[in-house]
Amino acid sequence: MSDDPDDLDAIPLAPFPTAIPASPFPPRQGETPVPGPPGQPVDADPPSDWIERADAHDLSVSHKTQRENALIALGRFAFPPEPAPGDDEMAARDRRWTSRIIAVATVFLLVFNAASIQNWSRQQPPGWVTATVQQLSDVWSAQLMQLGADQPRQTVRDAYHALTEARFGGPPTPPATPPSTD
Amino acid sequence: MLFPTLAFGVFFLFVYLTTWSFDRENGRRKLFLLLASWFFYAQWDWRFVGLLIGSAVLNWGVAALIAQKPVDAEGRRIGARWLVGLGVAANLLILGVFKYYGFFIEQAGELLAQFGWGRDLPLLQVVLPVGISFFTFQGISYVVDVHRGRTPPARSLLDVMLLMSFFPHLVAGPIVRASDLLPQFERVPRLTRAMAAHGLLLIVWGLFKKTVIASELSVRLVDPVFFDPTAYGALDLAAAVYGYAVQIYCDFSAYSDMAIGIAALLGYSFPRNFDQPYRASSMQAFWRRWHISLSSFLRDYLYVPLGGGRQGLFASCINVFVTMLLGGLWHGAAWTFVAWGALHGSVQVAERLGKAVLGQRRLIPGWLGVLITFHIVCLGWILFRAENFSMAMQVLEGLGRFQTASLVTPFLVLLIVGGLAMHWLPPRAIEGLAERLKVAPFVTMGVLIGLAILLIEAVRPDGVAPFIYFQF
Repeated sequence: MSDDPDDLDAIPLAPFPTAIPASPFPPRQGETPVPGPPGQPVDADPPSDWIERADAHDLSVSHKTQRENALIALGRFAFPPEPAPGDDEMAARDRRWTSRIIAVATVFLLVFNAASIQNWSRQQPPGWVTATVQQLSDVWSAQLMQLGADQPRQTVRDAYHALTEARFGGPPTPPATPPSTD
Repeated sequence: MLFPTLAFGVFFLFVYLTTWSFDRENGRRKLFLLLASWFFYAQWDWRFVGLLIGSAVLNWGVAALIAQKPVDAEGRRIGARWLVGLGVAANLLILGVFKYYGFFIEQAGELLAQFGWGRDLPLLQVVLPVGISFFTFQGISYVVDVHRGRTPPARSLLDVMLLMSFFPHLVAGPIVRASDLLPQFERVPRLTRAMAAHGLLLIVWGLFKKTVIASELSVRLVDPVFFDPTAYGALDLAAAVYGYAVQIYCDFSAYSDMAIGIAALLGYSFPRNFDQPYRASSMQAFWRRWHISLSSFLRDYLYVPLGGGRQGLFASCINVFVTMLLGGLWHGAAWTFVAWGALHGSVQVAERLGKAVLGQRRLIPGWLGVLITFHIVCLGWILFRAENFSMAMQVLEGLGRFQTASLVTPFLVLLIVGGLAMHWLPPRAIEGLAERLKVAPFVTMGVLIGLAILLIEAVRPDGVAPFIYFQF
């Protein structure tokens, strides 16, 4: 096998490019120009951004295009921004963010979903812990019911129940009652 | 202790707060997670915690012996084949005793009776430890990967014990390999906003799939129909079969989603286990999307050692068939599961032969492939759900019996259609949503999560059935 990188027959190049791109430079002395692959246009120079009618004196010589507000500059001077947090600081922030989410969701559910704790405690085998949790959840649920915190859950539950009871062809017919013998 | 229960919620809050309070003390964190995992497992049967410990010690010991052997150019351990065989055999023996002893003894008794040698064989009522199929497979993967040089041996017994006992994946997977999890155990885990948002969304989504879709379909449709298929007509039976397809997907993928989400909140990353499986247009594609951790396990530790596709078309067909057959038996000690595996295996063999004849030409459009594959999968689910062949035949016969539907309601149709339609959501919808929500303030995110759980809690039936895959 040849070590010549231009020897395409000797080296299986795939998955690398298998065609040598045309050189952007003119052929060296004694070389014949290598034609590019058919159908591929030679890269042209990028279009010039030279403006024929422009006068150099019209161009701005100032590097600052906007003046910074003096108050903002003073604020930055008086209270310089803190250095960017490191990895540990970022990790701690992300953990705090997650923990707070869990805390908010827990409080939200304790308020609006108190019935679940009540249901759960009633399903547990009897015992001191279960009885205590049950009593606490009963009191908690009763207090929140007075505030109406159970209403969103109950409304959704009622609507869902109606959906589950729907039948094809209209509402379910009530069972026929036997005629009265009076 | 099931994931979608208040008891687990309290347990997880305690574990979450304690784990992160260890900050950089990784050893104590792992020890605490191990104790928490054993406590979690002991809620089913504390006696099997000993089995879990014994299995971990066994695999750690075998891997440590393998690691002492010299390494060849490919990274494999030289002269350790017998040790690998010993380790794999010991794991399979544990699985065999607890899961298949009764089945094989029963079959042997029937076989002997047919030859007139009927004997009272020693039948034992062995209680099946929850999740034994999963943690023995993890043990096998650890031993084999150490031999193959894919993963270095664990630094301590603690790591191997935690690998096999880590509570998010302990009872129903996903089967997380040592090469995925051990490197994570060696460093202090880090929780990022993206991970947390993704984990929380996966937990909520899993909760919805399990407690609403899977539970409702199970209670209102699938269980009554499969209890007595002769009492129902074609419409109810067809709805129950489609319903079971949605139920088992929502049940099992929900467990995987919640496991991945819970692990993410503890700073660990688990691989994806489902990828919209009913979108598959062939059986081969189905197994790339369904229970991915099992199908890749079967591929790497069974199909490839059998010879894979290296020995020609005929051998590869046999290897695929045998792999699927054993995959079926892994799901349960019953002939219906073997038949289920045989169905999946034979369809894959047919697909391979078809591909060998036709090449890349496609005879049918993609949507028709999806439809056909889904219905073959549904046929398999009948075998999977039925308690025996007679019941499966009753379901199949009933599909030709036309009578008024008595169980199908608009609500159940909505659940089935919704359960199938979720396969056509954008493939990475949860990740995309998590990316958007990770910049939200914690109050907004907390209220959103609370609201989503409140809606689920408001509509879910009381109580929760165990996950289907717990029995495997």
